[in-house]
Amino acid sequence: MKRTVPLAVLFALAALAPPLAGYIGPGAGFAFLSSFLVFFLTFLLALFSLVSWPFRFLWKALRGQRAYRGAAVDRLVILGLDGLEPTLAEKFMAEGKLPNLARLRKEGSYARLRTTTPAISPVAWSSFMTGSEPSKHNIFDFLSRDPRTYLPALSSARVGKPKRALRLGRYLVPLSKPAVEGLRRSVPFWKILGEKGVFSTVLRVPLTYPPEKFKGHLLSGMCAPDLKGSQGTFAFFTEDAGRLRMREGGVAVPVRREGEVIRTEISGPENAMLRSPEEIRLPLTVTIDKARGGAWLAIGRAKGFFLEAKTFSPWVPIVFKAGLGMRVRAIAKFRIASLEPKFEMYMTPLNIDPEKPALPIAHPFVYSAYLSKLLGRFITLGEANDTWALNEGALDEAAFLELTYANHAEWEAMLRNALAKTPRGLVAIVFETTDSVQHMFFRYLDKAHPALEAAPARMSAAVVEELYKRMDGLVGRVAAELGERGALFVMSDHGFKSFRRGVNLNSWLHRNGYLSLREGQAESGEWFKDVDWTRTKAYALGLGGVYLNLKGREAQGTVGAGAEAAALKTELGRKLAALKDGPNGPAVITRVYDRDSVYAGPYKDNAPDLIIGYSEGYRASWDGVTGIVDAVVVEDNTKAWSGDHCIDPALVPGVLFSSLKINTDKPSIMDIAPTALELFGIAPPGHMDGRSLIGGDKPAGGKDKKAS
Amino acid sequence: MPVVNLVFGRIVDTVLWPFQGLPPWFGLTAASLLTSLLMLEAYKLTSDQAAIRRAKDRIKAHLLEMRLYKDNMRASWGAQAGILKANLAYLAANLKPLAVMIVPLVLILARLGLWFDRAPLEPGRETLVKAKLAGAADPAALDLRLETPPFAEVSAPPVRIADEREVVWRIKALAAGRGRLTLRAGDRTAEKSLAVGGPELSKVSARASRGSFPDRVLYPGEPPLPDGAPVRSIEVIYPARRLAAFGLSVHWLAAYLVLSIAFGFALKGVFGVEI
Repeated sequence: MKRTVPLAVLFALAALAPPLAGYIGPGAGFAFLSSFLVFFLTFLLALFSLVSWPFRFLWKALRGQRAYRGAAVDRLVILGLDGLEPTLAEKFMAEGKLPNLARLRKEGSYARLRTTTPAISPVAWSSFMTGSEPSKHNIFDFLSRDPRTYLPALSSARVGKPKRALRLGRYLVPLSKPAVEGLRRSVPFWKILGEKGVFSTVLRVPLTYPPEKFKGHLLSGMCAPDLKGSQGTFAFFTEDAGRLRMREGGVAVPVRREGEVIRTEISGPENAMLRSPEEIRLPLTVTIDKARGGAWLAIGRAKGFFLEAKTFSPWVPIVFKAGLGMRVRAIAKFRIASLEPKFEMYMTPLNIDPEKPALPIAHPFVYSAYLSKLLGRFITLGEANDTWALNEGALDEAAFLELTYANHAEWEAMLRNALAKTPRGLVAIVFETTDSVQHMFFRYLDKAHPALEAAPARMSAAVVEELYKRMDGLVGRVAAELGERGALFVMSDHGFKSFRRGVNLNSWLHRNGYLSLREGQAESGEWFKDVDWTRTKAYALGLGGVYLNLKGREAQGTVGAGAEAAALKTELGRKLAALKDGPNGPAVITRVYDRDSVYAGPYKDNAPDLIIGYSEGYRASWDGVTGIVDAVVVEDNTKAWSGDHCIDPALVPGVLFSSLKINTDKPSIMDIAPTALELFGIAPPGHMDGRSLIGGDKPAGGKDKKAS
Repeated sequence: MPVVNLVFGRIVDTVLWPFQGLPPWFGLTAASLLTSLLMLEAYKLTSDQAAIRRAKDRIKAHLLEMRLYKDNMRASWGAQAGILKANLAYLAANLKPLAVMIVPLVLILARLGLWFDRAPLEPGRETLVKAKLAGAADPAALDLRLETPPFAEVSAPPVRIADEREVVWRIKALAAGRGRLTLRAGDRTAEKSLAVGGPELSKVSARASRGSFPDRVLYPGEPPLPDGAPVRSIEVIYPARRLAAFGLSVHWLAAYLVLSIAFGFALKGVFGVEI
């Protein structure tokens, strides 16, 4: 009834109006005009799609694309659950808590999946997609190092400046796009599928930034940067001077309240359009509304919005003006942790706005805009779940879980859309939810964990159990949509173990005379600030790599290549393997891998000389990873980040559940790519090290390589 | 209704008054701009902006979907269905603001019509004056006389059209001026304004009627004819006013539509309105 009255009035007035007066102003006039245009365009597109289809079909036939001809399946769905731990999955299945995974195991196959050396996500997922060992895809850790400077660099991609730019006063107007170079080598199997006409949708698989061209759609995952070019820098606005010590993964911004108003700034990306680049800053005004239990937030000149305390905002678009009409767009979520006595507010890293991405995060470029328009804005940062914010206390555990599962829901919506739109071909997605939650909550499974002594437990082991149950539910929903000729792989790149004690290898190297500090220095700051390279033989960088200070390779190398280097590696390997946690303590390291023994690919020289296989419970310490040298070699890990997998790969296999029967009980993560190719009737190329898991036990690439 | 007409009339007349001596484009541009501002605000207040944004996003998404899944007929047709569905949602979201805005807009358009729809008679030109008789009156039997102001004259005796119950006079404009035509039938009279010459942009009322609701809305230029008047309506056939643009003759309403849409589109960002 409510609707019929205005409708009746509308039609009555329209009937009274002279012919052209049916037009009712700029708003509705524009609306009706654009509606008409949409109808018209839709009709044209439909016509074009219908008429051009035979020609496209013919073109594909002429190009010899006979996709799906020899395919054993119509569709392959690969569900990556980063870090799903086999022992936990097996335990929960035995307890009847994971019915969908149990069904998959019963009706198909299940095995522990051998991972890469080292067992680190970017390495493992690169091997997953290329079917090759790390020295063929050139990814050995999150970080690599520049041997000229000994400084770390991202191993996945390098973002350069535009090749051409025009000087205009204080501005430098780019005449080309910034050069984004992916450093992962070799060919992902979906590119090979595409060359044979098989369509793929690849969502958030790590190391897919920058996106590469292929027949299909891709949204970049782990290693895609935030708008500041970092791997995620949150902001924490606080009135509490005692909380300004954040140093990793975020920045603490001190704020001052005047009445009920706080005026501060959002620190944006560096303005590359200026000849002397400087950070773009946007004013942020927070007006506290105690009566409503929240605050009004106004960013720049945009319309303000109300945010209830202890609630996450939706994604808020943030526009940074770089000058000369150029705008850089970000999105972020906000959460007020406290209004009184001290104001505290968390802001997620500035994610690249998927609707108008400042950097390419998808293939084709418009794919992210499409997903955003269809499903709403979503997180685009590679390392999406803000583990650092929880580690540094900018988020509490409940808030972290809320944010993490909100991200997860966004990805599941993308997956469901991909499943609906990809009736034939490949759908591959990696959920990092499993990895993030286990990293941050694993201590609840380990009653002896030092972090539980350092801070009282607020949650319990139920968080991890709930995580596995949720993933099982996801598997059930995907399996239900699989169809008769569909195949499903549920896999993880590695497992998980408790991270109780951190090992600073640089401190050990210093203590044992392999790393020297400048005269008068007893310790070194981050990134080897006080290291004397002329007297250093080896240094550790990243989560498991030791590099020799090699002559001719490192800028100030001291170790000769060949026999001297080999002898030093042997010596270091022997001594490190004997390293104990205290005089009668357990061995810290189970095995030291010599890169010359485990790698044989063309990028072997970029790998660390030694890869450390830590024992269960140990990992590279927080300081050691960042090149700090001090007196402590092994110390308690008291951070919330209490589970890890950067240990001996043999101790942290992943999982593989398959709806198809597989031909081995010891599959490797490198086997997935050749298996996928074979399922679509395509012979895997010779450079792949993995072998197909389906059918006869034959090597994929004509070679029978050992898995790492 | 007279009060409403009076208010809207005053507003439109005040807006256009400064532009009387200028070509009509100036006045029309000003009117379009002000209408845009008014309607943008009304649209913002009366529409569900979130629903409109959602519908537009879905339309754009499905358009992109057609491009992204061009080799997938099912997805492609699904996208087209999605576009149509989202478009209907978009139109539905526009119904409320449309229903609210149409009332002032019709009144404004009727008022603007007085200024832009017809041009005054040129001195020396002839035109017709049509009187529609009331009730079942017979035009042949009724003694109806037309009196003109001094700057016009009746140039031909009336023609009585029985089927149409209409009496038509031809009059001739002699000089510029504003005045009133008077129709007499015995002791009953009815009056209608007459405009000859004058400034480039001036108000011209083509029709006076007895005052039915639609007539009062659409022909607000002069007071309604009294109930006892011998005729139902009197109409002067003024020449249509056409606006010249790039050598083309443009109807004022088309120009108004284009201008107000252009202003609306240009200013929607300033006002933060999702159209």
